[in-house]
Amino acid sequence: MRVRTLQLIVLLVVGAIVGRLFYIQLIDDRYKDMAANNALRHVVQYPPRGEVRDRNGEFIVQSREAYDLMVIAREIPKEGFDTMRMCRVLGMEKAELIKQLTRAKTRSRVPMMITNQLSKEVKLRFDECNFRGFYTVYRTIRSYPRRIGGNLMGYVGEINAEQLRKRPEYRAGDYIGISGLESAYEEVLRGKKGVKINEIDNHGVIKGSFRDGMYDSLPIPGRSLVCTIDAELQELAEELMEGKVGSVVAIEPSTGEILLMVSSPTYDPNDLVGKNLRLNYNKLLRNPQRPLYNRAVSSHYPPGSTFKLVQGLIGLQEGVLKPSYRYPCAGGYTYAAGRKMKCHPHPSPLDLRAAVANSCNAYFCYVFRDIIDNKKYENVKAGLDVWTDYVRSFGFGRTLDSDFANETRGYVPTSEFYNRVYRNSWKSQTIISLSIGQGELGCTPLQMANLAAIIANRGYYYIPHIVRSVEGVDSLEQRFYEKQYTKVDAEHFEPIVEGMWQGVNVAGTSTRAAVAGLDICGKTGTAQNPHGRDHSTFLSFAPKDDPKIAISVYVENGGFGATIALPIASLLIEKYLTDTITRPYMIDQVKQMKIHYPNAKK
Amino acid sequence: MLRNNSYGGSRSLFTSSVDWVMILLYVGLVLIGWMSICSASYDETAIDPYSFSHFYVKQVLWVALAFVVALVVMLLDDKYYHMLAYPAYIGGLLILIGTLLFGKEVNGAKAWIELGFFSLQPVELVKIATALAMARVMSSYSFSINRFGDLLRVATIIALPLLIIILQNDTGSGIVLCSFIFVLYREGLNKWLCIPFLMIAALFIGSFVFTPMTMLVLLILICTVSEVLMNGLWQSRLIYLATLALVSVVVYLASNYLFGWTLSAYKALLGTTALSIVGVVIYAYRAHLRNIFIVVAMFVGSMIFLPTTDYLFNSVLKEHQQNRIYSFLGIINDPKGIDFNVNQSKIAIGSGGLFGKGFLEGTQVKYNFVPENHTDFIFCTVGEEWGFVGCLVVLTMYCTLILRLMRIGERQEEPFGRIYCYCVASILLFHLMVNVGMTIGLMPVMGIPLPFMSYGGSSLLAFTLLLFIAIRFDASRRRFGVE
Repeated sequence: MRVRTLQLIVLLVVGAIVGRLFYIQLIDDRYKDMAANNALRHVVQYPPRGEVRDRNGEFIVQSREAYDLMVIAREIPKEGFDTMRMCRVLGMEKAELIKQLTRAKTRSRVPMMITNQLSKEVKLRFDECNFRGFYTVYRTIRSYPRRIGGNLMGYVGEINAEQLRKRPEYRAGDYIGISGLESAYEEVLRGKKGVKINEIDNHGVIKGSFRDGMYDSLPIPGRSLVCTIDAELQELAEELMEGKVGSVVAIEPSTGEILLMVSSPTYDPNDLVGKNLRLNYNKLLRNPQRPLYNRAVSSHYPPGSTFKLVQGLIGLQEGVLKPSYRYPCAGGYTYAAGRKMKCHPHPSPLDLRAAVANSCNAYFCYVFRDIIDNKKYENVKAGLDVWTDYVRSFGFGRTLDSDFANETRGYVPTSEFYNRVYRNSWKSQTIISLSIGQGELGCTPLQMANLAAIIANRGYYYIPHIVRSVEGVDSLEQRFYEKQYTKVDAEHFEPIVEGMWQGVNVAGTSTRAAVAGLDICGKTGTAQNPHGRDHSTFLSFAPKDDPKIAISVYVENGGFGATIALPIASLLIEKYLTDTITRPYMIDQVKQMKIHYPNAKK
Repeated sequence: MLRNNSYGGSRSLFTSSVDWVMILLYVGLVLIGWMSICSASYDETAIDPYSFSHFYVKQVLWVALAFVVALVVMLLDDKYYHMLAYPAYIGGLLILIGTLLFGKEVNGAKAWIELGFFSLQPVELVKIATALAMARVMSSYSFSINRFGDLLRVATIIALPLLIIILQNDTGSGIVLCSFIFVLYREGLNKWLCIPFLMIAALFIGSFVFTPMTMLVLLILICTVSEVLMNGLWQSRLIYLATLALVSVVVYLASNYLFGWTLSAYKALLGTTALSIVGVVIYAYRAHLRNIFIVVAMFVGSMIFLPTTDYLFNSVLKEHQQNRIYSFLGIINDPKGIDFNVNQSKIAIGSGGLFGKGFLEGTQVKYNFVPENHTDFIFCTVGEEWGFVGCLVVLTMYCTLILRLMRIGERQEEPFGRIYCYCVASILLFHLMVNVGMTIGLMPVMGIPLPFMSYGGSSLLAFTLLLFIAIRFDASRRRFGVE
């Protein structure tokens, strides 16, 4: 009896469900109409991408209105449409249109793009024609009013299949920042897509907005950025670097803000926008000088004589060097029988300040050997490891943790490395070239500019960064506000700074850089290079007290540091500090210096 | 003889003694479920349709795992379940408490444990453990369901996990355990104890729909009518009702117009009725009509319970649960907000018609008009793509499964097996009723899955385990038959 009751309950429950289903599926027609009304078209509302301004509020990157033409192939009328008219309105080749339509038909229910970046006028004309199955979507594309900062700002393109797999929040056809700032700040700049739901009838004609837009969401525009770049300075630097391969980086020492960053050769960022992207990208990619490659953060260069500054600082901190020490230099440093590290002619012997000002090779060979052969360390290996630790504390051999995605580490050799190379039998003479910044050392231009900032600050730096503020965010990440100390105490910086100042303003290798009243401090570098002519480099900051700008210029195969890197740095410092150029002839000189790059025409 | 021969035992296990109809129904439902998940989560624009990020690809893995679990259950000896009943139950409680303390919050319910690559909802496993524990307690020697102590033990077994689940804010899943009343009824629970249970449920719902005044009048009428049905003295009861009404009206008018008090009609009626109850009790005592006491107790109990439901509703249930109940009762008919799920779900099912729109052709589910269409609202896909006929097939399969489980239960020699089978049947029935009911607007929206069909690893594995333990019991029953 009870079992019967329970069976009856089961049947009643299922019966009630079936009854209700019978009613709503077969009797009540309301739901079918509602479902038909529910045939909706979700139109993605793309947000305008965040814009970028320079430190003075001038636009570097802007977003411009454009329209993509989409089609849902199965909504095109069976009898076809006037393709000629459409081609006329769009200004498109008929063959191209047919090719795109054939592609769209392979996935006939999905919105497929026919062409992109139509101007507003074309869009309005197209809308008047009312082609069934076609519709336009608002997008924004980038424009760069000053045409500067190609590989610094990076570019934006359609997301590719590989990235789509990694980042499921994107959809095919979405734009994504591919390099530089656009990629590093993608999350901030992209904004949030919205959706507009339109009710369409069975002919695909929009009947209006679904439930008065109740389920629509507005796109949230990308947030704008203020970057640390000074657009005018950047433009001048790019102009000066034209025809030369290399990099210029300038940092504001008191904040770590990057004032300019040039990787040369560069390109007009407008070339990589929209339709131009496909045309120009391969051209840039094939260029043997690799304009798409951001040398400022990715290239490893030998720092050359600029590295003597670090050498001197380590010596002072280790106590093996005093500013008053003098070392002889008879045209070089003989470190083994018949082996001599050459030096250029200059008075001898010199003390530390003068050795910095005159860039004496022999002097720093003594210093380097005293550091790593120091008796307080067990052997030269232990000594070198101490030295390596110091060098790393200056930001070399590791990434600086800046806001660049593609920042590379550079290279600072360790004792382990030499053990491997020389099978454990090496001594300080073997690696003597490290003393003048040659040998296995590799630094990025950003790291060198950071060194200039460290010396300007007398012992610490702020992590260099490219973004000053993000719209709607109070502050940057904490790490950009923390002082990063080197292992050398502030007091040891004075003689080095003195030397750099003398080199520019009294006598030495850098005198051509002097500008009256600016107290520029600088150090030249001429880095030997097994592949060709020496690289020209110059490291500088100004004014000597209360520094406002620290800069590093690196010109591949540019010869002496004083020849080409120095005037560029000097001009940029003058421009930044006084906003005038008192030596226009120097600009002409720099521009006329054409360097022959053997691989330029391949 | 065969029993001691493991080879012979396992042979018989996979030839005659297994209930293949059940297994076929199970496999059928799982496959229909997978097809529905395909429809619900299919994305034409996906560049990589076989990528592991799609629900239907993941579900293949779960289905495979479920089949392995089923096989393992069939190969294990059934005596373990009897042994494991209490340890499993206690383990289940501990995991529930652990979830309450360290679990992950999903949709406001702290009911999930993060296990690396997937999240486990322990309540699914606790259902099995509770069913086993129920079977163990109720099959013990000298157990009598209508003895107070024994009933309390059963009630405790149900109430403990239920309490923790409610604390987890996952009331929907917890209420499933209440379906065990079904089992208690089968095992001989006094129907007078079942009726108050149903009354409470009715009152709980009633208290939201009606004003207190209507509720009071309804209660008085129901109590009087049921008393008349028992004792048959309808004339005097009619006079009683009339007197009650007259006195209340007089009290109401007198207090308001003669004395100037502000006494509401509700309080007037309530006061009068309360006084009359004294008279009723004296009358019942004198006339030796004991059953009037039950009616009076029911009335007083309900009157005490009514404010409690208000309290429960406002402080225990969360806003979304309140809204769902309101929505179900049609109190706030607000198509913008809370009704949206159910409306869209009804549209999807309703637009299916007789034969449906065909596999992958359902526009409503595919374009995500129906929220949660691969989990709790999976039935919409069946309704839209396969129509009334498809629904009928699926419901028939469930119905057959549940009825067959009850039949299997009846043919068990041991009460343990029988009670367990009934537990499984009642869990499945409850899930079917609530889940399908909510998609067609017959039930409030509670987030519980449709057995075997909804997407989700822990739900599929738990239901597989639940069902196959029952099938395993049945398979060993036949072995006794051979002897």
